[in-house]
Amino acid sequence: MAVKKFWGRMSKKARIAIITLICLALIATGVGCFNIADPPHVELAPEALWHIGGFPITNTMISAWITIVVLAVLCYFATRKMKLIPRGLQNVMEAGVEALANFVDGVAGEEKGRKFFPIVATIFIFVFANAWLALIPGFISIGFWHEIHGEEVLVPLFRGANTDLNVPLALALISFVFVEYWGIRYQGFLRYMKKFVNLGNLVGSAKQLARGKVKSSLGLLVNGAIDAFVGLVEGLSELIRVVSFTFRLFGNMTAGEILLGSMMFLIPWVVAIPFYGLELFVGFVQALIFSGLTLVFVVMAATSHEEH
Amino acid sequence: MDAEGMRLLAAGLAMGFGAIGPGVGIGILGMGAMQALGRNPEARGPIMTNMILAIAFAEAVAIYALIVAILLIFVA
Repeated sequence: MAVKKFWGRMSKKARIAIITLICLALIATGVGCFNIADPPHVELAPEALWHIGGFPITNTMISAWITIVVLAVLCYFATRKMKLIPRGLQNVMEAGVEALANFVDGVAGEEKGRKFFPIVATIFIFVFANAWLALIPGFISIGFWHEIHGEEVLVPLFRGANTDLNVPLALALISFVFVEYWGIRYQGFLRYMKKFVNLGNLVGSAKQLARGKVKSSLGLLVNGAIDAFVGLVEGLSELIRVVSFTFRLFGNMTAGEILLGSMMFLIPWVVAIPFYGLELFVGFVQALIFSGLTLVFVVMAATSHEEH
Repeated sequence: MDAEGMRLLAAGLAMGFGAIGPGVGIGILGMGAMQALGRNPEARGPIMTNMILAIAFAEAVAIYALIVAILLIFVA
């Protein structure tokens, strides 16, 4: 009953689209029954397809550019005929951007949120689009047969850009520079660096020693050593963040790709579908985590220790 | 044992031991979220999002182990 009601309310275009999709799915099932997938060939480094003057064009690079083009085209069509009361594509995009803006404002506050929003939202949208575009049929499965190490393997033409270690690394470095930049901007260079190199107590200890007060000098020395160690740990954690950012995204996306490949190989088509749903979810969560963590770190860097 | 067998064993051990910590961690997180939900069912939305965020952190550790295992099997 509910289905009938829903069907009746839909526009003609939507009905045609759904029927077409169902037909395509049936055809794909028919083909899929005869065409058993190969065991997944795992290559962690992206494969170079062509070389232009010694510069390798890798498959992940192509899909990263596809992501960029898709996003640019979407934004162009969404903002072409802007209306005060949005409809259709503009409405969808505005809802997404508004949700992101609310998220950023909620964590960073109104004033800082405005400044942090562009990069945080860009990271979210890029990671998200990369992850979801990589689930489109044709990614991984279309490619060229190449002979590598004496065996014929399919080198895919498109491969999710997040599964290339360089993309998460680049994003992590951007996020690192972004955090340090706003930390210095908001607190000033010297005050920000004090978090990492805090020698105030050590200098005080030396002063006390020069005055001949050995006992208070020793107390300050212990405090100074603790401060120096804490600064070192702060600095290290800042660097380790980059590594953990990189491998969290890379690992999740690569594992998802291998999981889908294995499922396709073990039981073709039907059983693999729930895992596609899982990967949709994972892509969204990873994008949220990457941008959310960047946001939390930049807020932490921008607020000084005295303020809270 | 030859090098090949050693490699496969190492991969299995890496993933197996690497999954213990995150498994326990995710269990504790789920327990905390369920208790919070029992005490305050209206806060379902925020609890859910924060739980998923925290789970993703715990899961990342398992993913590191998975990368090591994948590297051992396919690349090393």
